[in-house]
Amino acid sequence: MNMKGNVLLFIVAVAMVPLTGFAGGHAGDRDEGPSVREDIDFVLHLMARGDLDEGLFVLEGMHPADAHWSDSLSYLTGWILYRQQRLEASARHLLQVNRDSPLFQKSHFFAAYNLAHSGNQSAARSVLNGIGPEGGSMPAALQQLQLGGLALLERDFDSYQRKAVVYSGQYHVMAREEQMMAAHYDRLRGRPDRHPWAGGVLSAVVPGLGKVYAGKTAEGIAGFLYVASMGLTSYDFYRSGGSGSVLFIVSASITGIFYAGNILGSISAVRRSNNEFNHEMDQRILFDMHIPLRNAFN
Amino acid sequence: MKWTSVFFLTCISLCATLSTDRAAAADRWFGEGDSLFGTARFFEAAVAYERSYFLSEDAQQRVLVNLAKAEALKQMGEFSRARNDLQRSLTFYGNDSLRKEVNYQVALCAYLDGDASGARSLLMRLRRTFEEVPSSRQFLLEGLVLVDLAEWDDLRGHLMEWFREHADGPAEKERLLQAYDALLNKWGGPPEMLDPGRARMWSTFVPGSGQVYAGSAGWGVLNAFSQVLALGGFGLLVYNGTYIASVVAGLGPFQSFYFGGIRQAGTLAGEKNKSRLEGFRAALGEFLLDVAVQMNE
Repeated sequence: MNMKGNVLLFIVAVAMVPLTGFAGGHAGDRDEGPSVREDIDFVLHLMARGDLDEGLFVLEGMHPADAHWSDSLSYLTGWILYRQQRLEASARHLLQVNRDSPLFQKSHFFAAYNLAHSGNQSAARSVLNGIGPEGGSMPAALQQLQLGGLALLERDFDSYQRKAVVYSGQYHVMAREEQMMAAHYDRLRGRPDRHPWAGGVLSAVVPGLGKVYAGKTAEGIAGFLYVASMGLTSYDFYRSGGSGSVLFIVSASITGIFYAGNILGSISAVRRSNNEFNHEMDQRILFDMHIPLRNAFN
Repeated sequence: MKWTSVFFLTCISLCATLSTDRAAAADRWFGEGDSLFGTARFFEAAVAYERSYFLSEDAQQRVLVNLAKAEALKQMGEFSRARNDLQRSLTFYGNDSLRKEVNYQVALCAYLDGDASGARSLLMRLRRTFEEVPSSRQFLLEGLVLVDLAEWDDLRGHLMEWFREHADGPAEKERLLQAYDALLNKWGGPPEMLDPGRARMWSTFVPGSGQVYAGSAGWGVLNAFSQVLALGGFGLLVYNGTYIASVVAGLGPFQSFYFGGIRQAGTLAGEKNKSRLEGFRAALGEFLLDVAVQMNE
């Protein structure tokens, strides 16, 4: 065999040695790196197909000895849980991603969002404050937008105004959402306070008026008609049979029940109306916190 | 020139090594899936099969793994996912029997997923693609789909074709057809559907009659009696001079009973149709399955 032939054999032999067992799938006494990478590739394949339970199942079975994989595994687990809308569990895993990982910012921003969505605003704020100034001015602006959103969720308008001062509209990933936050602020400030007891008092004076006050006009008119028609019926029976008439007593009792029910219904309608408004605003704020994260990190 | 050859040979060696290892891993996961399936751990088996699919570079093996995964998903009741997964193998152009199996399984999963129309179009495509006599199980599935779609006229022709191709001789064919006719006679033919609109119309003009038309005489009598009672109350209150009370306590309940009765008649007719159809479908489905079992014996 000539010189070149020997070189050829040498190169082929050298090339084949490290690849032996590359796709074996289990870590033995060789380097576990390729095996873990292959597992992660498979998890990514499952995620791309939307097989999230299967992805979690594979991740749960992965216990690499080398700690440098832990960030990737925490991120992937957190991301799958986020896609499954198991937000608190997702936040727990995303927060395990270390600061020196390239996935740190994304993980912690999404963890904060998950916590905010789960109603844990104070934990979300501390996560956001812990992200730090690394990564340039865009992440810092994103951080301020998220903090402003949190302030609105807590209805802390002074805090929101302090954050909103730095909203510049210069980053396309969040320019529209900065404007939307301002609109949410105006809407929250502009809505008059509605007190449940005031609704009850109004319905005691004019049946159904409390529901109109709660913004439920149709319910208010219906309530008025029910109570008024029962009241008129009672009057009719009173007129024909007097106060001792059985029909009058039955009818007046039913009217009383309708009247009291209408007052209680109005108190509950104001509460319901307030809850609906707050829930709707929270959803809008969370939506406008979420979109910039998707724009910036996907 | 020779150094170029060295380079290419090296690349080929690399690829060959990688491919061999991936193929071995794909085989191993396939086997793992089979053993998990054998112990009824269907979720884990589905994951193992998917991993084999992910690693395999052999088109035929991918189809086999996909079919195995579909079996695991079917055991889990995940018919929609099984169908979606199998659709990845519809583009396979190799072994004819495998292609046929994939097409059949997609149709079966569509049927099991409640999409009888989708299953029918898949089965029609299967017939057009493979111009040969369908297997007995394909005839069965086609029959079940026709039952689901309430295509009674087509069903008879379909059964005749099935029995002609797969029954054990003309006498057997005749016996099976007679059994089908006996079943139809027992049910008085395919159920005639009630018209919910007609039921509502009857109740509009004759209170309670729509319910009687829908086969619920008790509800009809109760509704008519309620309306008479409310009208009686109205008349009595007018007679006593309590006009406002007569409107509120007499006409109010009357209009509720009247319009409620019209709505109820339509609903009852719809429910009656559903229960009749379900009973007939169940009986036909049972008959078709019995026939398939007899054909296989």
